[in-house]
Amino acid sequence: MGDQAQAGTGEGGIRRSARTRTSRKKKKNQIPLGILAFLVIIVIGILLNRFTNPRVALFWITGSTFGFILQRSRFCFTASMRDPYLTGSTSLTKSVLAAFAITTIGFTAIKYGAHIQGLPIPGQGYVVPFGLHTIVGGFLFGIGMVIAGGCASGTLMRVGEGFGMQFLSLFFFIVGSFLGAIHFGWWKLNFIVRSPSVFLPDVFGWIGAVIVQLLIIALLWIAADKWSKHKNAGGGH
Amino acid sequence: MSKEVELDCMGEACPVPLIKAEKALEKLDVGDILIVQIDHSCAMKNVPEWAREQGHNVELEEVDDGEWEVVIEKVK
Repeated sequence: MGDQAQAGTGEGGIRRSARTRTSRKKKKNQIPLGILAFLVIIVIGILLNRFTNPRVALFWITGSTFGFILQRSRFCFTASMRDPYLTGSTSLTKSVLAAFAITTIGFTAIKYGAHIQGLPIPGQGYVVPFGLHTIVGGFLFGIGMVIAGGCASGTLMRVGEGFGMQFLSLFFFIVGSFLGAIHFGWWKLNFIVRSPSVFLPDVFGWIGAVIVQLLIIALLWIAADKWSKHKNAGGGH
Repeated sequence: MSKEVELDCMGEACPVPLIKAEKALEKLDVGDILIVQIDHSCAMKNVPEWAREQGHNVELEEVDDGEWEVVIEKVK
């Protein structure tokens, strides 16, 4: 079991010789800079609202917030898929599943709210055909993100942190997205449109869809939990 | 006399420091100390977590802004 509680920072549990102890430079207090960055973000939001339209300002604020949370929480979709295999750790896998569970409820609430008011259901453009291409694409993306050291959001976040190697990832991420966008029509015509697209509430009803999806997430959660215990009981590998 | 080994993983993206640490720790004896130097924020989470789950003593120190040392004492 993870004894995360013993997050030993500076408790001096491990004796090291003075020789290898890197002399710590006095770190600059970053809080004033943080407050400044916060104010700049808000000012840009206000300017965007004024000179473009409220949607752009909203995207700016949600994007900045999302990036901040991602950075502080060390949330990493890549690690959530990779670490179960690499180390047997599934703590990130479980947090991603928890996030899916929460968004399942939130998105269903938004969509159902629009549905009962007779409004067009938002976000239905994202109900896309599911088929072999999804699996092949997911596999390719999985290889790519492990090599690049991060998925799309993770790469952006670490570029923001100033991790140099991932500037390279970002560059090729842009090149790849650009090529993908150019050729998407061809792939869509030849592979994607033939597959069925499923909107779960059409199949199970609104309540049923939420239950089915949460049940699947719960099963994955249990599997992840059992996996980490199994891996650690077996002495790592 | 226990050894102290430094492992430079500066500039290495996420899974690389972990795998290097894993390999380096295998070569050490019980009681030896491995110091993994990292500057990738993701490794700062998964290297200590992995080592703790393996049952080793772990300390994490931020030596500079965005630079960390994971100190692992091999226990078994």
